[in-house]
Amino acid sequence: MIRQPANLLIGSALLIFIGGMAIIALFWTPYDPAAIKLIARLKPPSAQFWLGTDEFGRDVVSRLMAGAVQSMTVAILTVVFAITLGTITGLIAGYTRGLVDRILMVFSDALLAFPGTLLALGLMVISGPNKYGIILALGIAYAPSVLRIVRASVLSAREREYVEASRVIGNSEFTTMFRHVLPNCTAPIVVLATSMFGWVVLAESGLSFLGLGVPPPAPTWGNMLSAARTYIEKAPWLGLAPGICISLTLLGINLLGDALRDRFDPRTEQR
Amino acid sequence: MHALWKYIGKRLLWTLPTLLIVAVMVFFLVRMIPGDPAQLILGDSASPEELANLRASLGLDQPVPLQFLYWLGNVVRGDLGHSISNGAPVLPLMLDRFQVSATIVLVAVGLATLIAIPAGLIAAWRQNGHVDVAIVAASTLLMSVPSFWLGLILLLIFGLNLGWLPVVGFVPFSEKPWTAITYVILPIVTLMLIEVGVLTRMMRASAIEILRLEYVMHARAKGLSERKVLLRHVLPNAFAPTWTMIGLVLGGLLGGIAVLETVFTLPGLGRLLVDAIFARDYPVVQGCLLFTALIYVIVNLIVDLCYPLFDPRVTAS
Amino acid sequence: MKYRNLLTMTAMTAVLATTAGSAMAQDKMMRVRINADIRSTDPGVNRDANSDAIVLHMVEGLVGYRDDASVAPLLAKSVDISEDGKTYTFKLRDGLKFSNGEALTSADVLSSWQRYVDPKTAWRCLKDVTGSGVANVTSVTAPDASTVVYTLEKPTALFLATLARTDCGGTGIYQKSSLGNDGKWVKPVGTGPFMLKEWRSGQYVELAANPNYVSPGGERTGYVGDKTPKIGAVRFMVIPDDAAAKAALYSGDIDVLADVNNADIDDMTKSGQLKVDKVAAMGLTGLLFQTRDPLLKDARIRKALLLSLDIPQITEALTNGQSAPSASVIPVPSPYSGAAEKQIPTRNIEEAKKLLAEAGYKGQPIKWLATKYYPSLFDSAVLVQAMAQEAGINIEVETLDWATLLDRYTTGNYSAMSFTYSARLDPSLSYDMVSGNKDKSPNKVWDNPDGLKLIAESTTITDEAKRQAIFDKLEGMIRADVPIIPLYSGTRIGAVRSDVEGYKTWPVGYARMWGVSFAPGK
Repeated sequence: MIRQPANLLIGSALLIFIGGMAIIALFWTPYDPAAIKLIARLKPPSAQFWLGTDEFGRDVVSRLMAGAVQSMTVAILTVVFAITLGTITGLIAGYTRGLVDRILMVFSDALLAFPGTLLALGLMVISGPNKYGIILALGIAYAPSVLRIVRASVLSAREREYVEASRVIGNSEFTTMFRHVLPNCTAPIVVLATSMFGWVVLAESGLSFLGLGVPPPAPTWGNMLSAARTYIEKAPWLGLAPGICISLTLLGINLLGDALRDRFDPRTEQR
Repeated sequence: MHALWKYIGKRLLWTLPTLLIVAVMVFFLVRMIPGDPAQLILGDSASPEELANLRASLGLDQPVPLQFLYWLGNVVRGDLGHSISNGAPVLPLMLDRFQVSATIVLVAVGLATLIAIPAGLIAAWRQNGHVDVAIVAASTLLMSVPSFWLGLILLLIFGLNLGWLPVVGFVPFSEKPWTAITYVILPIVTLMLIEVGVLTRMMRASAIEILRLEYVMHARAKGLSERKVLLRHVLPNAFAPTWTMIGLVLGGLLGGIAVLETVFTLPGLGRLLVDAIFARDYPVVQGCLLFTALIYVIVNLIVDLCYPLFDPRVTAS
Repeated sequence: MKYRNLLTMTAMTAVLATTAGSAMAQDKMMRVRINADIRSTDPGVNRDANSDAIVLHMVEGLVGYRDDASVAPLLAKSVDISEDGKTYTFKLRDGLKFSNGEALTSADVLSSWQRYVDPKTAWRCLKDVTGSGVANVTSVTAPDASTVVYTLEKPTALFLATLARTDCGGTGIYQKSSLGNDGKWVKPVGTGPFMLKEWRSGQYVELAANPNYVSPGGERTGYVGDKTPKIGAVRFMVIPDDAAAKAALYSGDIDVLADVNNADIDDMTKSGQLKVDKVAAMGLTGLLFQTRDPLLKDARIRKALLLSLDIPQITEALTNGQSAPSASVIPVPSPYSGAAEKQIPTRNIEEAKKLLAEAGYKGQPIKWLATKYYPSLFDSAVLVQAMAQEAGINIEVETLDWATLLDRYTTGNYSAMSFTYSARLDPSLSYDMVSGNKDKSPNKVWDNPDGLKLIAESTTITDEAKRQAIFDKLEGMIRADVPIIPLYSGTRIGAVRSDVEGYKTWPVGYARMWGVSFAPGK
């Protein structure tokens, strides 16, 4: 039990750091993240620019901070959207079974069979690149994985004694589902949401890499990283900074996810 | 055995509507994307008449539902059409490229599994100890690195600075195995490193669950050595969820590998697809996505069929 | 699968693996990067820049470009133009042979031409020789085995330049065996210095030296002169990623990179392993306005935008200081780029604000399209956005993939965009590229009836001073209308490994591998 608090502690510390960075950026950044200064292009880190400047002479620290806002918003909204969509359909599929289940599964299989990033790529090209296009596209792409996992949990949970018991004492199907079946899915959902958060941050950088990310001048870590690719030998700091930010965020969310899972997992409590 | 065959038959039958939906989605999705191959072929100096002529010669002037039925009819007969970009027949083109992607993905995931199983098992066994913390930290870090970034850094170090490995190009295994290996080593390592993270975490999590179960306690109480407990009781039972994960990873990677194939300039299926999307090469996009979907469905079926092998509690019925 | 040709491949990889010694310098294969697979080997049919560059190693036309994009005889020994400018008589060179050893005669010119003008072939330049475009060829005859006579309906200054055009496949002459029995294209059997050895989809196109190449002698320039191959084989390797291509050049996995990014020139020059050369190019990168846009139809707003920009600074940033700014549609290397064309508008924020106020502009957003497919287009949008902001112009950048951007360009469905045109080698063509009737050709940005008349006139006149006068007049008109803000005509930078000799970059930009060799020894 030594790791439990460490998990929670380091995880939350990292996320608070990143979140704090984003919140501060809403009000203040050292420089205007979109201000172009062509005489100060690709300057290495210095007292004036702590992490140097990019190919347009924009301050990397300011862009990282502003990027935290964008990346967090996209990631959080996408995960929330995918989880909501997936949980609702998953509950319906797992609980009703029968024909509805079949139909939902066929559709989710079809969506899952599409490579996620490519589905997003297609949807992005159609919808035009903007923040909400990405959220919608990635959300739809990831929802089927949630559906599958929720459905599997529901299927195993609905046969348990306490679910039977809830039904026997006359609780409505709806109450049973939300009170007794859904909590059983929390653990897998938390684990999935955790990794999904990572996927979204990575997918966003992948889409930026292919030229279809959040539009400028708004920086995201993803589009900073893909822009830095061109200057990898000349200005390695450009790519290191967003890369490290992405990794720290994922590390934080993963640690926190582990801690939460250990805590909420009903099986942990039962045994 | 009879029940198993019936089960497989049923499963395969259920994949048909999935594939049909995929086919419909692909076809109409691709045509909703703005821009068309005729414009790309003619470029910035195209006149309206030239465009109209080229579209007609590509059959793009027909109503979309009609184009779809025509295409579907051909697909059912096994003809996926010809690439608009270079006229090559789609099926052989795809199979050719698929070999490359499949080799890399299978080898990378295979190696990753070989590393992840012992690592996850040891981490679970020594839960919360130093070794566990180190393994979890390492796998979490690996999971959180963008693949193309890792690939590019490896490329710079081993290809450019050290000059140990070639930077671009590809040689099929059938022709010159040793040279071929030098070309695919970096993409495989990159992919492996990233998948090791995912699989180790999965393996660890399920092993921890098993370790908590009563029969492990029984086994220990019976005086079995820790090694035997882990190998005989924990590993077989903990592998099932990891196996599912491997299935998901395998199915999904074919699409995700596109970016890596671009970084390493490998002629794989992923790059073929992305290039085709950007070139609006409809027959290739449709063919590739349908093919990827088919692979996904088959991989999942195999995973499900293998499930009873690893988890004695589940039966195929 | 279809991995055949085991022997050749094994031989090639052996060369790759043991770069040192064993093979003679002449037998060594030279590797050149192309950024995408070619579309076909059919000259001027289903083609793009990479296809053109490779096909023109294998086939030659009656005429071809020199380094400065002027036109010179290639398969022809001489070209006689009649007094009235309607009859072109080409005398073929003596002893010409196809790569399969067969002699080339005027009959081959006729049969190639017949296939070109057959609408079923879908030759890129069909309209340019059958009336609606540059010229209308009314007859082509072959009075004897070494003479071909073209007759045009009207005189034009551009007929030879059209035949030489790279996107027309140089109107290359190929032997009948290039086609299968069914009349379908198989592979080019031409007179060029190289011939097709193997095209492996998505990987490479390999050419071998043409043993039957007949050199006309003379200086090697453009696509003409002595084109004797000095290497046994060239492999054009498909490497889509710029960073990977650069890395490959450094590591020696490729020998020639014909299109280096502006940003890389300093590092490459300094590296000591590479030879870099650059030359002014004839493309056009600029900003386009939709003059029918509800907001931008007001010329004052377009003018204000122009005034808000510091064009030299944008160009400096986009090209890393490699290209001079050029605010004219006529490219810098053109002999017609005179004083009027070379003028650069100066930035004037106050004047811009005044114009905006006059036009009643109140910060309505202007959607600006760009693509990352060409990094300079994306970068220019970001720079314009920041600079225009200072004058109070509110630009929203939308990043699209290239095909979508091209679709919006072709249909005229945009307010403003960053765009790049391929090279036009004659000023009349440069103007034609941007001007036209928007109802008929929605892709044209400048719809000015007086301008169109002048452009039409410029194509029929051959006197240089008179043409210059017309172009200067056009320059003034288009600058007053501001339908487009040209930024620069670009720079071609080529880089080769230091053991590669004889490689030269030129304004058209395509790699040319004849006359190029590996330094002996090493």
